[in-house]
Amino acid sequence: MTELLKKELGSTFRDILVTGSGDNRVTVSVKPEQVLTVLRFLKDKGFDHLALLSAVDWIEEKEFELVYILACYMQDADEDRDNGKLHLIVKTRLSREKPQFQTIIGIFPNAEPYEREIHELFGINFQSHPRLTPLLLERKYKIPPFRKDFDTRKYVEEVFDKIPLVENKEK
Amino acid sequence: MDRNQITKWLKEPAKMANKYSLHAIYFCTGCGIIEVPPVITARWDAERFGVIPVATPRQANLFLITGYVSVKTLRAIIRTYEQMYEPKYTVGFGSCPVNGGMYWDSYNTIKHLDKYIPIDGWIAGCMPRPEAIFIAVTHLWTLIDKGMATGYIRYKENYKSYRRNQEMALGKLQWPPLHPIDSDSEEAERD
Repeated sequence: MTELLKKELGSTFRDILVTGSGDNRVTVSVKPEQVLTVLRFLKDKGFDHLALLSAVDWIEEKEFELVYILACYMQDADEDRDNGKLHLIVKTRLSREKPQFQTIIGIFPNAEPYEREIHELFGINFQSHPRLTPLLLERKYKIPPFRKDFDTRKYVEEVFDKIPLVENKEK
Repeated sequence: MDRNQITKWLKEPAKMANKYSLHAIYFCTGCGIIEVPPVITARWDAERFGVIPVATPRQANLFLITGYVSVKTLRAIIRTYEQMYEPKYTVGFGSCPVNGGMYWDSYNTIKHLDKYIPIDGWIAGCMPRPEAIFIAVTHLWTLIDKGMATGYIRYKENYKSYRRNQEMALGKLQWPPLHPIDSDSEEAERD
């Protein structure tokens, strides 16, 4: 199955790097502009479940990496495609200076909270996302807190340690 | 009931009634809440100690804060605490409310909970055993007996600085102050 999928991906798309690690894990590295078509292609092949959308900050290479993990909920009807055991990881790299990308809500609607979270924690802007409002955080941060150049200890010293203890009047 | 406690009951009936019927608000924060279901059910049976969980803060007088407090949870904790009737007692459960615990350098976790609401007792540990809750409850009995569980009175007295700390952490609060904040009177009291 893995070989068949690898062959299909290689013949359909240019500039695509397909590597398989282990028996049931396939990593597909693509260019940012190809992501939407690759995801749509894979969805048609039976990978109808976006299990996770995550991001990695490669600060030395000045790039963000978006990681889409796809899985297959339904066992495919035809026997040769045993997609159910396969994890498909689609990776793409964005520039760190201007982190901007397309939303994939049109393909996988459940990407909406993931994209909101990544926008909040990494500061990646997803174009045409319906609502990029704060999801988890309560405070405002100058640098999004999951970036590697965000210094958590300095932040704790500046914010939480500055709050004084409540003085007791009895003393 | 112990017979030699009868004089105590007659002297301070309110205190004894508070002591032996603690209603704990079922407020779940962090990982410590996983210890609470066995505590209140058949295995450890908190009702032996007069502790039962209740659904809303209006019915509760014991607040167990079970685990790390994120900034967003702090808002809910303050609102819950202010809705509870007096006398009310708070117990911080686990290391995280004490000083942040393993989240001491986290960007989004409250480190010292007693800067924001008054705490009557702490249970240290990560995680404390369910027995530790009962030790805390019996300690709380002693504190109530001696009139030392005064968290809600301290909250009233130092409300201005509590509110200031809350606003430093959360920004402007959307609800009105629970107790009147009168800066002049507080200055006069201090003198």
